[in-house]
Amino acid sequence: MPEAQTHDKEHDHDRPWFLGHHWENPQQQFEAGKLGMWLFLATEVLLFGGLFVGYSVWRGNHPELFQFGSKYLNTAMGATNTVVLICSSLTMAWAVTAAQQNKQKLLKIMLTLTLAGAVTFLVIKYFEYTHKFNEGIYPGISFYQQPGEKSHYWDKSMVAFARPTWTIPVANVAPDLTMPMSEMSTVAAAATGPAGFNAAALETVEGGEALIHTPTPEEATHAIALEHADVDQPMHHLQDPLRPRDAHMFFNIYFMMTGLHGIHVLLGIFLMGWLLYRANKGHFSDKYFTPIDLGGLYWHVVDLIWIFLFPLFYLI
Amino acid sequence: MSIYGDSTKASSGTNYLTHTRGFLSWALTLDHKRIGVMYLVSVLTAFFFAGMAAMALRLELIAPGEWFLSQDNYNQMFTVHGALMVFLVLIPAVPAAMGNFVLPIMLGAKDVAFPRLNLFSYWLWVTGALFFVLALLTGGLDTGWTFYTPYSIEGDDHMSGAMGGVIPALTGAFVLGFSSIFTGLNFIVTIHRLRPPGMTWFRMPLFLWAIYATAIIQVMATPILGITLALLIVERAFGIGIFNPALGGDPVLYQHFFWFYSHPAVYIMILPGMGIISELISVHSHKHIFGYRFIAFSSVAIAIFGFLVWGHHMFTSGQSPLMNIMFSAITFSVSIPSAIKVFNWLATLYKGSISLNTPMLYALSFLFIFTIGGLTGLHLGTLATDIHLHDTYFVVAHFHYVMMGSAMIAMFGGLHHWWPKITGRMYNETLGRIACGLVFFGFNATFFTQFILGSKGMPRRYADYSAELMGAENFEIFHFWHFWSTIGSFVMALGFFLMLGYLVHSMFKGRQAPDNPWGGGSLEWQCSSPPPHDNFSEPPTVGDCYDYSMLEWDEKIQGYHRREEAATSGE
Amino acid sequence: MMTPASFISMLALAAGSPPMGPFGMPEQASTIAAEIDFVYQVITWVCIFFFVLIVFLIVVFVIKYSKPPGTKAEGTATHNTPLEVAWTVIPLILVIGIFYVGMKGYINMRNAPLGAYEINVIARQWSWQFNYPNGATISELKVPRGRDIKLIMSSQDVLHSLFIPSFRVKQDVVPGRLVTLWFNATHEGEYDLYCAEYCGQQHSTMLTKVLVLEEDEFARQIEEDRVFMDMLPPDRLYVAGPRLYARCKSCHSLDGSTMTGPTWKGLWEKTVSGETVFTDGTTLKDLIGEGKMFMNPEDYIMQSIANPQQKIVMNFTGAMPTFQGMLSPLEVMALTDFMKNLDKFDEKGVPKDPEDELQRVIDKAKEAEESSN
Repeated sequence: MPEAQTHDKEHDHDRPWFLGHHWENPQQQFEAGKLGMWLFLATEVLLFGGLFVGYSVWRGNHPELFQFGSKYLNTAMGATNTVVLICSSLTMAWAVTAAQQNKQKLLKIMLTLTLAGAVTFLVIKYFEYTHKFNEGIYPGISFYQQPGEKSHYWDKSMVAFARPTWTIPVANVAPDLTMPMSEMSTVAAAATGPAGFNAAALETVEGGEALIHTPTPEEATHAIALEHADVDQPMHHLQDPLRPRDAHMFFNIYFMMTGLHGIHVLLGIFLMGWLLYRANKGHFSDKYFTPIDLGGLYWHVVDLIWIFLFPLFYLI
Repeated sequence: MSIYGDSTKASSGTNYLTHTRGFLSWALTLDHKRIGVMYLVSVLTAFFFAGMAAMALRLELIAPGEWFLSQDNYNQMFTVHGALMVFLVLIPAVPAAMGNFVLPIMLGAKDVAFPRLNLFSYWLWVTGALFFVLALLTGGLDTGWTFYTPYSIEGDDHMSGAMGGVIPALTGAFVLGFSSIFTGLNFIVTIHRLRPPGMTWFRMPLFLWAIYATAIIQVMATPILGITLALLIVERAFGIGIFNPALGGDPVLYQHFFWFYSHPAVYIMILPGMGIISELISVHSHKHIFGYRFIAFSSVAIAIFGFLVWGHHMFTSGQSPLMNIMFSAITFSVSIPSAIKVFNWLATLYKGSISLNTPMLYALSFLFIFTIGGLTGLHLGTLATDIHLHDTYFVVAHFHYVMMGSAMIAMFGGLHHWWPKITGRMYNETLGRIACGLVFFGFNATFFTQFILGSKGMPRRYADYSAELMGAENFEIFHFWHFWSTIGSFVMALGFFLMLGYLVHSMFKGRQAPDNPWGGGSLEWQCSSPPPHDNFSEPPTVGDCYDYSMLEWDEKIQGYHRREEAATSGE
Repeated sequence: MMTPASFISMLALAAGSPPMGPFGMPEQASTIAAEIDFVYQVITWVCIFFFVLIVFLIVVFVIKYSKPPGTKAEGTATHNTPLEVAWTVIPLILVIGIFYVGMKGYINMRNAPLGAYEINVIARQWSWQFNYPNGATISELKVPRGRDIKLIMSSQDVLHSLFIPSFRVKQDVVPGRLVTLWFNATHEGEYDLYCAEYCGQQHSTMLTKVLVLEEDEFARQIEEDRVFMDMLPPDRLYVAGPRLYARCKSCHSLDGSTMTGPTWKGLWEKTVSGETVFTDGTTLKDLIGEGKMFMNPEDYIMQSIANPQQKIVMNFTGAMPTFQGMLSPLEVMALTDFMKNLDKFDEKGVPKDPEDELQRVIDKAKEAEESSN
């Protein structure tokens, strides 16, 4: 733009300052910008699309993880965030209209409100995440514990990052020679499970002694259910006897999807700040509001993605 | 002076190369031509290094045993070769390098729609390349360019060679993906919104149709690669378990994600190459392209079908037989548009006036090589035979015939075709033909032998095939073909070095290029060589770009000019 | 499906040695090979036809229409819809045909017949292990001729792929899944088995043999594979060494050269003298003894096999997987005995004294058993 400004000023007084040197007229530039933004948003949707496919595959294969995991999410906070985002979407749309009608003051107010909405969203998200971390729910392997284990989930020196090797039962257990082959493979299939994880393999051995004692599910259920019999709130996720194997997967997907969305909200904050800065400089008018319009489109899509994320994780 | 800037005549003013000077005037340029040239230089540099890695691989395989590279080095070398060639060379070579330079001029526009975004995607490319350098400095990687899980998420201390560079390399590929997305996005908008009056969709040169179809794939497929690589990075760094069977994840899901991008990516590589060939064959036969609409629509058809066939990379991966059958069926549908193109190119040659210039020799090489590459695709798309041929040298030969032999040969054809336009100089035609011949014969010697190796059952990515491993009988066969393959690769390398030599020489000592040395009808031949900063002083007149009836050979300038021009200027 | 090719292969079957495949394909040694080669042949002929046609036209056109610069083209129509439709539809019909034969061959290849003989396969970096219903565990695949064989495969670490070119079968072995593969070998003999999916540093050494045996011979050998350890005289356990070593040879040499793991040449001497140094700086000498990490040198060898990550020898990476549960205690003892008696073998593990050949020792033991009965 500055280049066009200096380059063309002398010989063309009709050309507005914001018109790039390669455009015929503002209309063409605006339409191109809009098409470009829509394409970019399509890539954004596809980016999340990959995660949504991952979500569907996991939900299809392991519905129990989602049933278990979703009760550890704070629906109230999620709902608040949904409302905040919807409101900020509204103020954003209002800001676009304000720019189109050349109402400078309203434009600034609306942009500020949108910015405030985005910040509020992240603050609430921060509290949600912190709470999860305090409960020991992290993205990644460190979270991966079996019920009844001592809670040393974030103690790197003990188990964290010790990648378990997976074992195949037929190989590790000396084969029962009397068993017919067909049965052996069934046993193997059962023990391997659909996810192929052998719980025993997680036990990290140090000095020949098993570090983690894994009680039988019956033991754990009995002891802990008694303890929590009269408590209304969900018990600590690690002690929950209903905790399915691979429960970490739900939270991993949760953190990945909401995390990526959070990054987009963060980008939105920078975007709003930049728009506000330019609005303060008086760049926008009913003649030129492309950045406001495109920023608005971006913000609506970020909002829309959350509208999908919220029910998928918190509600169903 | 009009609002469009300087006059088009190079003689009367500066061109884009001399418009401004200094390093920053290049590094921060918004001129699509300069960005195109920067891409070209960068991509060719990457091609050099990736090619050197390939030579090291071939050298190791000329004899049995680990005589030149250790297994570990061999594995790292083929990973580097594959990753660099795919992410740094093939994907940006034609669209970003040639496309950036040619597209706006061909279209009759003054620049791409978003010049800043264009510059940004170039620097993203550089950032991505630096990440690959970082990957090599932090210990390298030996996962293969496909980063298959769970091998790619194993720890350093585990059963692996080099793993330190995996995360930098993944990050690099992630960044390069966004570079590719922004280039594609820019081109789509440019073609939609910056066509000058008279440039209707069906007057666009076929190269632009090909670039358009490519750009759609770039925009629609690359985000999936982005999220896949991001997941893999997080998987490796924190162990989130989505692709890790030890944590309940599914490695086959990774393959689906990966090939959902990486198969369409094959068309990102080959489609613009096909576009170049359409131009080359028509221009150098001085004859209207045959079946314009069929070629244009076949590009779009390939782009669309290309999204639906990724599963044919996974016939042996353990996906369900029903899916294999469906993917096989759809795969065959891609072969039809490719066949249409080949037949139309042949029909264009028929009764033409063929000039065997260097670019035309590349185009004919392309036809020969792509025919083999395409036809051997039938063996691999067919379920029964693919099971045997999958992951053998047959596959290696097939995709080199398509990527190296077709996409890169087309790229070099385009480079020679537009070289006079880019630099304003002519290269030595004789040396050009010799180099093309060396590359052609070297290429076929290198890779046709690999079809035979593959059908004999030689698996790919083997560092060694010595008799102790393979048995004496197989060793004899494998050694014979590997030996000749390596010899071929050296002939090919010789051709490329010769090319480098005369091209660099021409930049300084080459004859001044006429505006239209080949007799091309599209708009880039209407502006000077090299073009001025703003491409066109006034909106160019758009006609049928494949109509050569108005062009006449001028012995004096060793080039072509338009008949009406000659009449008015009275030269 | 009875194709001409499969009929020919039936004839060849009677003749004895497996027929070679067309166009450079390996020998056809399984029931499905002939049919797949038939498909391969059909496609290749289609390819040759089109390739010759196209290249012929290119050459003719280039020779006929090469003109000096400036010559105007004679010119033809710029398009011709019937022609375009023709070269769209004809290839379409052809590829539909190819797809059909390919699919048919594939379905035959995938659907394992009922009652197939099942063998468990375990893939790991970088060796194959085959577990038989009778309990034999070997590192070469032995199968009876003319019987349907079903392999039930699993991986302990990364992706592998079992590939037997002569049988035309291939299947990725995916960790966390049990995958299957079936074939029916038609000819006695020795065939190659490769890992076709890149699996890490020594991918190219992850290969072994398939031995196709007559039913009786197969039964005998597989029984012997199960019991051979029990028949060895306790003082000559080392004769089983070369056989057990087959699983170790991709990482450990016998001739002193350094591979992924330390060479076994002189390993025992070093262990006894305790001069081995580990990556954590400790020396074996300080770790052997009463109440220490290892009770004696033999214990060190055994623990290194069972839990290789525990102590890693200096200058090596902990690349070895555990063999816990994969080797019986007796087999570990035999390996240790082999290391002690390496001087009785050459650098490839072949016994210098023919009396030390495993087969001979077992035969003798059998004879002794029979005569005592």
